Amino acid sequence: MSRHSIEGLRIAGVSTCVPARIENNLADDLGFDPDEVRKVVQMAGVRERRVVEPGTTAADLCFEAAEALLRELGWERDSVTGLVFVTQSPDYFLPSTACMLHQWLGLSDDCAAFDMGLGCSGYPYGLYLAATMLKAGGHRRVLMLHGETPSRFVAPDDQATRLLFSDAGSATALELAPDAPAAHFCLHTDGSGHAGLIIRGGAFRDRTPADPRDLWLRMDGAGVFNFTIKRVPPLIRDALEQAGCGVDDVDAYLFHQSNRFIMKHLMKKAGLSEAKVPMTIEDHGNCGGPSVVVTLTRCLGAERGAAQRLMMLGYGVGLSWGAAVVELPPSARLLHRDYSAAFPRQGAPEAGA
Amino acid sequence: MPNMTLQEALTWIAEVFEEPAGRIVRDTKRSEIPGWDSLGTLSLIAALDERFDIQLAEDAIEGLRGVADLLDVLRERGALAEA
Repeated sequence: MSRHSIEGLRIAGVSTCVPARIENNLADDLGFDPDEVRKVVQMAGVRERRVVEPGTTAADLCFEAAEALLRELGWERDSVTGLVFVTQSPDYFLPSTACMLHQWLGLSDDCAAFDMGLGCSGYPYGLYLAATMLKAGGHRRVLMLHGETPSRFVAPDDQATRLLFSDAGSATALELAPDAPAAHFCLHTDGSGHAGLIIRGGAFRDRTPADPRDLWLRMDGAGVFNFTIKRVPPLIRDALEQAGCGVDDVDAYLFHQSNRFIMKHLMKKAGLSEAKVPMTIEDHGNCGGPSVVVTLTRCLGAERGAAQRLMMLGYGVGLSWGAAVVELPPSARLLHRDYSAAFPRQGAPEAGA
Repeated sequence: MPNMTLQEALTWIAEVFEEPAGRIVRDTKRSEIPGWDSLGTLSLIAALDERFDIQLAEDAIEGLRGVADLLDVLRERGALAEA
């Protein structure tokens, strides 16, 4: 059983950045049968998606989110000693894209920067990792970036995935705070489902696949659906138990925005009030793990009078699933922006604008 | 768990796949139900879970060839009163 309560961390700020380009699912030029599209849109609940321009990566989106956040917080660059980039759409296999981001952000040499390869479950896992770095790893300030560009790994002619997935980047600033309430985590894996969401080719198992479709995401929709129904309600129950609170004691449940139909089913099954389950899937699509944090910045008010107890829920590729129950202090800054390549990158920019 | 008659079960199956009630009979094959496509399969998974707390493994779902197989599942799980 993987449950942990970790004290001593505070979320200082959360920043999200999405592409400015919008694709409307009901547009004529997507090349799909309109009746089929309407059915998918009805079930999944995605009306519009944010899609990067060619050449823009998750790192670009996360850089802009992080730069905006660091300026807002006024953090000295050399005070950030941990930089974690949680992604399954890195710029490179090698080096960690976090190293490039480290350069762009102008962080000091006294910084541990690395990638973590998780997707849908990335946000609770990323928070957990940052929490351990603060609590036991000697850090005082950690930046956890979580970004994905699923639009770049779904086949343009695959209706099931093209109409669902969207892009986003984020940055969460965490700092050591001995008086802060504990954060609670439940983290799980079922590797027997690893082929349910997979890009088979391009990496080292098969660098040059014979079937070019192996360079795109393959998704077993029914299998993933089944997994979600089976695993997420117990996850919510276990996370509440670990946090020592009841279902009504949580102010907002931030779900990975996988599919509206499944989220509504999970809400009913877990007895969650609709008012406590904000959704952004309609106009932000399923942007993978970062959909949790996009929902946070888009739906929680910039001005909050009191601390809010949040449950973040990530579930999917791996199969991996996790929950984090954290208190968001009223002082935490929440930022959201469309990507504009507004900020200069320190050092030589290899990618991006 | 609610215990249905055969007729109630057939009506429920028709609702899941958004088919007119009279179209669904015990011998109806999956291929004869337009609503039992990939999205219909998702609706079925959710409906089994919500109404009967039944979760089927992926291969069991894929192995359903028609209404008769679905009725067998309901019967085995105690959701169907009569053969």
